[in-house]
Amino acid sequence: MPLIEYLRYPIFQRALVASIVAGGTFSLLGTVVVTLNLTTIRFALMHMALLGAACSLALNQQPVVGAVVAIVVGSLLLGPLSDRMKMDAGLTSALFMTGSIAAAFILFYRARVPAMEAFGLFTGSILAMTETETWVILIVGAVVLAVFVALYREIQLVLYDRELAKLLGVPAEAVRNGLLVLTGLAIGLAMRIVGALLVDAVMLLPALGAMMIGKSLAQVLVVCSVLGILSASGGLLLSMAVDLPSGASMTVVAVMALVVVATIKSILVQRRGVRDE
Amino acid sequence: MVKSPSKPECAPAILLRDVTAGYGHQLVLDSVSLVVGRRESVAILGENGAGKTTLLRLILGLVQPWSGSIEIEGKAVESEADRRRARQRIGYVMQGSVPGKLPISVEDAVLLGRWGKAFSYLTRPSKQDRAAATRMLELVGIEDLKRRDCRELSGGQVQRLNIARALVREPGILLLDEPTTHLDRNAQAALVDLLRSIRQTLGLAMVVVSHDEDQARSLADRAYRISDLALTLDWGESACR
Repeated sequence: MPLIEYLRYPIFQRALVASIVAGGTFSLLGTVVVTLNLTTIRFALMHMALLGAACSLALNQQPVVGAVVAIVVGSLLLGPLSDRMKMDAGLTSALFMTGSIAAAFILFYRARVPAMEAFGLFTGSILAMTETETWVILIVGAVVLAVFVALYREIQLVLYDRELAKLLGVPAEAVRNGLLVLTGLAIGLAMRIVGALLVDAVMLLPALGAMMIGKSLAQVLVVCSVLGILSASGGLLLSMAVDLPSGASMTVVAVMALVVVATIKSILVQRRGVRDE
Repeated sequence: MVKSPSKPECAPAILLRDVTAGYGHQLVLDSVSLVVGRRESVAILGENGAGKTTLLRLILGLVQPWSGSIEIEGKAVESEADRRRARQRIGYVMQGSVPGKLPISVEDAVLLGRWGKAFSYLTRPSKQDRAAATRMLELVGIEDLKRRDCRELSGGQVQRLNIARALVREPGILLLDEPTTHLDRNAQAALVDLLRSIRQTLGLAMVVVSHDEDQARSLADRAYRISDLALTLDWGESACR
C-alpha cells in the first residue's frame, strides 16, 4: 500500500502527529539528561514504573496507572533526595533503580503478581496508542516547548553552571527539579511510543548529535528538535514503507542520523585543523 | 579596631565587624574584622581550608554570620533582600570554574552574568546588554572569540571569560578566588597583568584570595592572613586610615 494511503487511517494519522511532537520536543529534554549526567535516570524511572505496575496489579488495577504514578513520584523525589544526600542525581538514580526492581520482585513473589503482565509495560508501539495517549503527548510536548522558550536563559544558566545560577538568584534547584519531572513524563510516554529499551532513540540520540555540532544552547535545541522529528517520524514512515517494527525503525533512523552528524563533525574538525596548520 | 575612612574614595566598599562564622557546628572564622576601601585591593592569604573562600562567601551573603555585622558599600546586610541587593554590586570569579558539557558561545556565557540585573524571567538581553558583554570581552582581550564554543577555550581564556562575566554586572567590588589556579606560568603572568590593568581602568574594590605570596604582592595594596580562625594583617597598610 502506498504511504499516502496509510495516512487516511486515524491510527496512522495519530502516530504521525505523536512522532512529530514527541520527536521534536522530548528530545529537548535529552540535552538536560546529557548535560546533568542523568543517563541512569531513564533506567531508574523505568524500574520504578515496573514497581508501580506491580503495585497496581497487586491491587487489581491497570498496570499503566501505577506505572505513571511511580514515574511522576520518582522524578519528583529524585532532585530533592539527591540534594539532601549530597549525591549526584545520576548516582541517586542508581539507588532508585536497584531499590525499586528489588521491591517489584518481592511483590511479584509475595503478592503472586503476574510478572509478565507488569513487564508488558516495557513494550510499546506508536501504532498501538490511543487517542487519549496522543492528546497527552501533545499536551506534554506543548509544555516542554513552552518551558524551554519561556525559561531559556534560566535553563541555560542551570545547565551551564548551577553554582553561578544560584549566585545570580536563579532558583536552580526548582528549575532542575521541574526539568526532572518533565523528563520523567517524557520517558513514560516515550516508553509507550518505542518501548522501554528504545527510549534513547527519541530522547538521547538526537541530543547527543545536536551537542556534537551546536555551539550554543539555541543551536543545540533547534538541531535536537530537527533530529528528533527526523528520527521519530522518518522512522515511522520507513516502518510503513518497508514493513518494519516502528520502534526499531525509529531507532535505526536515529542511529543513522547520529552517524551522519558524527561524520560531518569529524570532517569539519579535520578541515579546521588543516586550515590552522 | 576598624577606623572611619577620611577620604571619599576610601569609603568602605566592604566592612566586616567582629564577624564569627562557620558551617554546622564547625567554627571557621572567629571575630574577624576587615575594611576594604572603594578603590583598594586586598589579598587574603592562608593555607588550604583556612577559611579564605568562606570569607568571600560571607561577603557575598552565601554564608550568614553567627555574630558580628557586614556592610557592603555603606549598607548593612542583614536580611535576604539585603544580601540579594549586595550581590548586585559584587562580581565573583569562582575558583576552578570550568565549562561543563553544555555548548555555549563565549558571548552568551558573559551575557548570563547580567541575569537578575539587566534582564530576568521572560525578558531577553537587550542591545545594551550585548554591547556591555562585547566591551567586557574587549577589556579582557578575547573579543575575537565571542562566537566560539566555551568548551574549545584554553584555561587562560576560560579565566578571562569568567572575569568578563563578573565585570559585565558593572560591580563596585570584584572578588577573585585563586584566579590563576591550574594555569601555566605564562598564562598566570598574563592574567595578573590583566587584573592590574582592570583595577586601574575600572577603579574597583578588589579582594583576591591566593596562596601565592608573589602574586598577592603584584595585585594588592596589603594582605591579610587567615590562620587559627583569625584574620591578621600580614603586610602593607591602608592608605585610607
